[in-house]
Amino acid sequence: MEFEEYVSARGQELVRLGFTVSGDYQRAEDLAQIALMQAFRSWRKVRKADDPHHYVRRILVNEYLSMTRRRSFTEAPTAELDPQRTVPDPATAVVNSDDLWRALAGLSARERVVLVLRYYQDLDDRTIADVLGIKPSSVRATASRALATLRRTRQSHHV
Amino acid sequence: MSNSDLEDDLRGTFERAAASVPPATGLTERATTGARQAQRRTWIVAGAAAVAVAAVAVVGFSLGGRNATVQPPVAGGQTPAASASAQVAPSAETVSGTWRPVQMAGSTTLKADRPDEPLIEFKPDGTWQGSDGCNGLSGTYTIGQRGEFAVKIGPQRLVGCDNVPHTAVLRDAERIALDADTLKFFAGDGRELASYARAR
Repeated sequence: MEFEEYVSARGQELVRLGFTVSGDYQRAEDLAQIALMQAFRSWRKVRKADDPHHYVRRILVNEYLSMTRRRSFTEAPTAELDPQRTVPDPATAVVNSDDLWRALAGLSARERVVLVLRYYQDLDDRTIADVLGIKPSSVRATASRALATLRRTRQSHHV
Repeated sequence: MSNSDLEDDLRGTFERAAASVPPATGLTERATTGARQAQRRTWIVAGAAAVAVAAVAVVGFSLGGRNATVQPPVAGGQTPAASASAQVAPSAETVSGTWRPVQMAGSTTLKADRPDEPLIEFKPDGTWQGSDGCNGLSGTYTIGQRGEFAVKIGPQRLVGCDNVPHTAVLRDAERIALDADTLKFFAGDGRELASYARAR
């Protein structure tokens, strides 16, 4: 597969992944661009990988985590979801969804990334562990902690 | 609320968020242009560094030639820097072991949280391996009689994190100096690039 073909097929997916982990449209595009730049530089190697998209996705996610560790990193305000663009959804679900979206901003970067990879990208814990370079048991512990935090946040809002 | 309700809500939330992302245009052009510009910058910096090293080498040789008749001979044939107390002649046997970075020129985040410990190991058979914190590294190395040092770096993954730039140090190093528990790498112009402590 040529680089241009890959970008045209999966580029937008990368921007979406960037948005779900960062909550910021501009940062999402930056992350996708950085991941694609790095992939382009070693494209001959990337295209030979069993799953080139897995490789590029790994670059994007780790670039985001690396970005959040830098001293210069400033948390971008979580973008409000644009209801004009979102998929049709029953009204109550939209409200719940927006609450949850805001609650996600309270998680650590790694917790949020684990949830995104698990519930948006539908990756199993072993694959997530491979993407993040950590053990599957750490993935399970991180996900469990993140879910507990979200549950507590929702309960406190509903009281 | 059950876990599965929350998990379902999360799936829905992420789907809605992803669907709200406006189409990105020109990703291919931006990625390829950005990569080419970065490569060009690397070439320019590498070219400038090569010119600087060559200039230093020329000046060094000319000064060395002028002073050759007045310099006292150095015991053991070692360079003056390597003849300090507690120095050990570097060789594949004496550097053999695992080393952790203590100081690197231009790198301030040696103690950051990383998936792997950023160590490098030199083996007596002329191979080395290690991790930059997120990617496995390996290759071969040679050490000359006066501490001249050269490496070949094998293929590596490019996972991004606060990578410890071992490969940059090894690639730029032209000489090493060793005492009991400290291994130092120097550039061709004598600049200290990094210092490592014996880990085990």
